[in-house]
Amino acid sequence: MSSDHQAGEVPPLTEDIAPGTATDPPVGSDDAATVTVDGTAVDLPAGSTLLDAVEAVESGGDASGGGVDGGTAETVPALCHYGREDIGPRSTCRTCMVETDSSGLVPACSHPAEDGAVVRTDAEAAIEARDVNLDLVLSNHNLRCTTCGKNGRCDLQDAAIENDVEEPRYGVLDDRDAYEPIDDSSSFIQIDRNKCILCNRCVEACNDVQVEGVLRMEGSGADTRIGFQNGAATMEDSTCVSCGHCATVCPTGSLVEKGIEDATTIQIPGFTQKNSVGKTYERDGDPKGPMTPKKAAERTERAASGETERERETAKETASDERRDWP
Amino acid sequence: MDDSSLADRQRVVRVPADRPDLAEAAEGEVDGGGADGSDAGGRSTHGGDADLTVARVGPVGLDGLDPLVTATRGGETAVYANAGPDLVSEIVTDLAEGTVGVVGEPLAVAGHALGPATFPPAPGTPLDVGNRHLLGGAGWHRPADPEDHAAAGGFVDAGLEAVVTAADGLRGRGWGDWCHDVDLAPTLDRAREAFGEAAVVVNAHGTAADPGARSGADEGSRRPGTDEGSRRSGTDAFLLESVPFAVLEGADLLATAVDADRVVVYVSEADETAVERARAAAENYPDPVTPFEVVTGPAVHRATEPTMALEAIEGNHRLEARLRRPGELPTLNGTPALVHTARTVAHLADRVQAADGDGPGHPGTRLVTVTRDVEAPATVELSETATLDAALDAVSLAGEFKAAAVGGQFGGLTDALDVDADPDALGEAGLGTEGVVEIIGEGRCLVEFVGRRAQRAADTNCGRCVPCREGTTQLTELLRDIYDGDYDEDGIAELLRVMNGSSVCAFGVEAARPTRTAMTTFGGEFEAHAEGRCPAGACFEAPEVTQ
Repeated sequence: MSSDHQAGEVPPLTEDIAPGTATDPPVGSDDAATVTVDGTAVDLPAGSTLLDAVEAVESGGDASGGGVDGGTAETVPALCHYGREDIGPRSTCRTCMVETDSSGLVPACSHPAEDGAVVRTDAEAAIEARDVNLDLVLSNHNLRCTTCGKNGRCDLQDAAIENDVEEPRYGVLDDRDAYEPIDDSSSFIQIDRNKCILCNRCVEACNDVQVEGVLRMEGSGADTRIGFQNGAATMEDSTCVSCGHCATVCPTGSLVEKGIEDATTIQIPGFTQKNSVGKTYERDGDPKGPMTPKKAAERTERAASGETERERETAKETASDERRDWP
Repeated sequence: MDDSSLADRQRVVRVPADRPDLAEAAEGEVDGGGADGSDAGGRSTHGGDADLTVARVGPVGLDGLDPLVTATRGGETAVYANAGPDLVSEIVTDLAEGTVGVVGEPLAVAGHALGPATFPPAPGTPLDVGNRHLLGGAGWHRPADPEDHAAAGGFVDAGLEAVVTAADGLRGRGWGDWCHDVDLAPTLDRAREAFGEAAVVVNAHGTAADPGARSGADEGSRRPGTDEGSRRSGTDAFLLESVPFAVLEGADLLATAVDADRVVVYVSEADETAVERARAAAENYPDPVTPFEVVTGPAVHRATEPTMALEAIEGNHRLEARLRRPGELPTLNGTPALVHTARTVAHLADRVQAADGDGPGHPGTRLVTVTRDVEAPATVELSETATLDAALDAVSLAGEFKAAAVGGQFGGLTDALDVDADPDALGEAGLGTEGVVEIIGEGRCLVEFVGRRAQRAADTNCGRCVPCREGTTQLTELLRDIYDGDYDEDGIAELLRVMNGSSVCAFGVEAARPTRTAMTTFGGEFEAHAEGRCPAGACFEAPEVTQ
């Protein structure tokens, strides 16, 4: 084994991992608590959130295994919530809003379960917030489900069906934006950012669980997207080791394993998963060595564009008024 | 730095520290003088007129008077607005000859006791608008010189109890404050419970309004101004430029109270003067509890939000809001942190000083910056019992008053400013408490105004939460739809409620305000646009007339 090769195998130091996300405080309760959800009391251990209470009541069993009657008055999608492997809660989608007696409207996924808390899933403001936020998620999602490999096993599709969404009030991505090309450059994992709901599960799986430091959150506003910490434009040029954890945790068809990316598409001649948005990034055809390329590549913000995130963001803010005419 | 305060000097000419040409003109008139190379200090002259001092002082806050030069001799001060080098030379000669206010046309000649430690009252001028408790040293003190602040009663030797008493009932100023509009006392208690493991963050990041806002010159223009020179930093950065010791003292008092091991002053990298003066003042501060660190953040609006400020100080390359744990302090590198704006801590210091002097205590005041369609912006200090329109006496409107946006970038729109400057009254009126009043002149379209604000919010939010990221995008689209005849009033109101009620941080919550208040107060303009008319005559092309 050459020394070059060894250098290529050095895993990233954790302190160099820069996922681009904020350092959130812990969200669970300090102590065990009894919480009432839509009239049903549920006992929860320390470290619980209000969503744990809601889910316990929804599933008819409390977190400690005891039986609870009733169920919740309304469905709480909690789209971006994962609840396993210490991933999340990101609390980004806000489709878990519930009303509490003490704190008003709160996101159940990231609100500690305080003892004695009284939660209503059917309060008017909570229903409105969940419905509007679900439609807002749909407004920025590639809804071409028939050519999606996650058709039938998609959290967003499930939530839309459970909430009887017939026609999202803000329309769908088709109405509004050009599609971003599908990144089909990796041999193992495909990215369709048009289906990404920015739940951050993949970024946490990649950085906090696998400690690979490949994926990150980047950009701001409508340009917020999943990108690569080495500044690469495609998966192929990233430092991905193809562990597949990101695809496992993805709630939609945004990150899928190659080979089953069209597993559940509906067969319509001429329409395939790969041509569903028109353009695709393919492999560049260069032969690859046995090891993951650029494992120890320079991890700097300047890698891709030559400017730092700060410079980019400042320029974007300054340009906002000049960039577009009104109306 | 001088080792004595200006109050001890016989004759003093004060010129703005950012106008070296004026200081040089003054010094050139003094025999035997020579520059000492200090930008922000003062200089006693030697050899010639030993009693004449040229002092480089911070801004007074009234841009229309800039450059403001004062000449003090004994019990009299002549105040000159818009002074040039020639006039400054004459002023110095005037003083050297034993007279004051004889040359030129002084704005006012104020009588006062010998050696005033703060700007003497100048009745009948914009300087006389409101109070000057926090702003007493503005335009009067040398920003890097602690002696001037000490002469004005600063650097009180106050213990924990005095700070706790002063914090009780003091409400955080501005959206950059963790305690925005709420009492400081509970967070102070929590930080004290951290037993010496606490940090104090002074948040002086912030803009007075959106960078497009400018004064006067663009009246009637549809495009927002981008003139670099007319942009204004926020009120917190202004305090650092003008009276940095008042801010640092407040931070030091908090640090004393919670036994902090770290005090950070956080400023936008665009506010270079504020950064420079904060660093100089931090260097010269007498015996701080712990040395001050001055840290810069990116010049973007969202970087003012307290959790994003903490992310910036920690060095994250990308800023997004953090979640907040109910009832707990945020952390800076794992340490519980008090995050207050420069205004808040300066008010705290002011309250401690007032109590120390056995005086009646200052009534609550608020700093208010008036900008946009005015000849020149102004920052004044109003009593909380005064109405906002009192601040208008400090500015000249550029054109007729149509409306005002009260509360900064995401302020609320109103057609009247007869509302008290205190947060309860402003909240009831649906307005923001940021301390910024943007005057919107006749001829501006309010649908365009709030549309641009929505667009900015969509372009510059952190991207974390759906109600803000996607909500501002859809809000912009819904406002554009009005121009196509589709004014979905209920749909917009619904979206605004959800943005307001479910966003992660104040950015999304407040981004709903301009449109909400405009629809309430100026609903007719929205309806007119849906019918193809713009009451301000700004939005639609004139129809072509064919014979």
